[in-house]
Amino acid sequence: MRVSILRQKSPESEPYREIFEYDGSSDNSVAGVLDHINYNDDIVDINGRRTDRIGWECSCLQGICGACAMVINGVPALACETFVRDLKGEEIDIRPLRKYPVIHDLIVDRKSIHENLRQTDIYIGEYQPSDKVGHEQQYIAAKCLKCGLCLEVCPNYVNGKKFFGAVFANDCYLVAARNRSKSKDIVGMYSRHFGGECSKSLSCMDVCPMKIPTIASMAWLNRK
Amino acid sequence: MKRVLVIGSGISGMACAVRCAHHGVHVTLVSPDPSERSQSVMAAGGINAVIAEHEAGDSVACHIEDTLKGGCRLGGEKAVTGLCGHAEEILKMLVGIGTVFSVDKLGQPLRRAFGGQTYKRTYYCGASTGKQIVSALIMEVRRFEAAGLIERRLRCCFHSALIHDGVCYGALLYDETLDKPEAVYADAVVMGTGGQNALFGKTTGSTQCDGYAEGRLFMQGAALKNLEFIQYHPTTLETAQKRMLISEAARGEGGRLFFERDGKRIYFMEEKYGDRGNLMTRDVISREIGAVKEQVFLDISFLGKKTIDERLPEVRDVCAKYGSLDVYIQPIPVEPSVHFFMGGLAVHLNHETNIRNLFAVGECASMYHGANRLGGNSLLAAMYSGGVAADEIADRPGVGSAPDFSDFISLECERMEKRQSADSPFPVMYIRDMLADSMRERMGIVRDENSLDEGIKDADYYLSVAGRLRYDSSVKRYTNYSLTGILTLARAALECARFRKESRGAHYRSDHTQMSEEYGAATIITFDDGKYSVRLDKEREYES
Repeated sequence: MRVSILRQKSPESEPYREIFEYDGSSDNSVAGVLDHINYNDDIVDINGRRTDRIGWECSCLQGICGACAMVINGVPALACETFVRDLKGEEIDIRPLRKYPVIHDLIVDRKSIHENLRQTDIYIGEYQPSDKVGHEQQYIAAKCLKCGLCLEVCPNYVNGKKFFGAVFANDCYLVAARNRSKSKDIVGMYSRHFGGECSKSLSCMDVCPMKIPTIASMAWLNRK
Repeated sequence: MKRVLVIGSGISGMACAVRCAHHGVHVTLVSPDPSERSQSVMAAGGINAVIAEHEAGDSVACHIEDTLKGGCRLGGEKAVTGLCGHAEEILKMLVGIGTVFSVDKLGQPLRRAFGGQTYKRTYYCGASTGKQIVSALIMEVRRFEAAGLIERRLRCCFHSALIHDGVCYGALLYDETLDKPEAVYADAVVMGTGGQNALFGKTTGSTQCDGYAEGRLFMQGAALKNLEFIQYHPTTLETAQKRMLISEAARGEGGRLFFERDGKRIYFMEEKYGDRGNLMTRDVISREIGAVKEQVFLDISFLGKKTIDERLPEVRDVCAKYGSLDVYIQPIPVEPSVHFFMGGLAVHLNHETNIRNLFAVGECASMYHGANRLGGNSLLAAMYSGGVAADEIADRPGVGSAPDFSDFISLECERMEKRQSADSPFPVMYIRDMLADSMRERMGIVRDENSLDEGIKDADYYLSVAGRLRYDSSVKRYTNYSLTGILTLARAALECARFRKESRGAHYRSDHTQMSEEYGAATIITFDDGKYSVRLDKEREYES
């Protein structure tokens, strides 16, 4: 099986494509495929030319840390829970998330996700629940990985602009629901950085590894 | 203003940073990756605490006793008393910052029963307690970032500590964004770098917890403690890249362990230990599975779809996703896997190492769990240790001006440059994998003098070649410069296991199968210019 990867040596350099041969198991995840290709005396492309090892990131390898977010056959997903057996076609196409600056190969700089939340003071501070219900929704919202898949797929999100996307909306919901004294400020932030510009394609919900129902967060915040 | 450098941003590192900030101490919180990727997010079970509304009969004294007993009397009594005595305060703090605990109709946190404990005292957040605590702490850190008291540095790796005459003045970091080393000076350095997974290759934990910081600090004069005590989880599902934990709940609900011989199922745990055989402690089951020559399976299929869907959905999903298994009809092939390290940097009650102003917290510090850890105590210890270190640091006068480290720094930079200029395709991971294979075989669940001697020979060989080889420089610099520290740590762990000629808790020696009074103290190992010295802490130096 062929594995085509969009690579880039450094933040400043030009991207290029390289194709590798994969002869491992189809039960492997794409993370496993990358490890398999990298783990050789010499790493060579499909034409036998020696090249550098492929840069990518991981930590938990079980879908709960978000490190290995990338685009696989056109779909933003976590490499550790995307399996070769489930992919169609004779070639796996892999590229880095494109909404963030590339650092090296499949490693991108997602610091803007944290930066946006920091600059807008999205923290609970003190637990003073807004209402008794919604525990399950808060539990799921707090599982957000900050992996950035929701922003990758979002038609409205552009890195560095004022629309902060689903990841922001869900944290806004979590804070406002768990601290009523901040509710008003948070709803203001939400309106400024989300509410007005979301075109409601809701593709963010399809790609979310934690299946966070962003629409429920939006509905709650819109009511406030 | 006093300045602290916290290295590692999982639960223990964040707990320390937040508490320092509360005291008005400035924190630089350093990690290669955001906190969302720390191993802390993988802790599922819960956090132990005896609170005012405890289960009838329970008490802090009982929590202390269970912890000391679980640790086979090697967890220091004073330390454990502090840990358990502060558990209620910690739980309240976590609730207070908005952690989404599972709660009853009145909004009170729910508790569940956990192995090795006399009463129900484990508070939890569904099946993702660690993740929920991490999410809450990240927000709390953010609050102090806004106040200018915490500064996060991402994509920064620990390289070495800046130590002079037994005092730590800061650390040399490698900044991946700027692609260069940077010395950061501070009044105190706190290590919260997690466990030593890389010694064993595939484990249940994060690939990022490699033990390098412990190994490197050991080489710089820090004492390590109890490295022979490594907790195995008996039931994990092997995949190409890691071992997926199959929760104890699977056996709690009635799951049965068996192997097949001549077409017949042998329920070996039940045959040996009776009806409750499948619920024996983690170390006993791990050893029994290890002793079986055939593949061992865990069967839950007979529980029926309804029970599995209601009680064990995570087990069902992990098996389907990572093992292509249908647990409604198929048994799960299981193997024990390294799960938690009770050993680590030796620290005093205030979490300071033998090097002044160098602290260690969380799993990289060895303190409360003795020879074995109770479920629910690791999250508690991560929170508590971070707080203890912060209180101590806040109470102390600042360190003053640092001596000149420029010679040390330029030497280390030179070494890094040399490594980087190598034109070799050889991956460091080859040596890491050889080490892991050796460690699994020589220092597995059951050890003896011969196997440990062989392990030491292997580690010495890898150490002797590691410095001479040239490595692929297209990978992260950290990957290459961390190798020697990891190998040295492995060598030290083998040395500790060889030294302890008894069986206690998670350390089982087939040539010394009984617990021995003589070894009723912690193992301390130090390193001096290539020489490893091991002793028992009979004077209880590290219990004060």
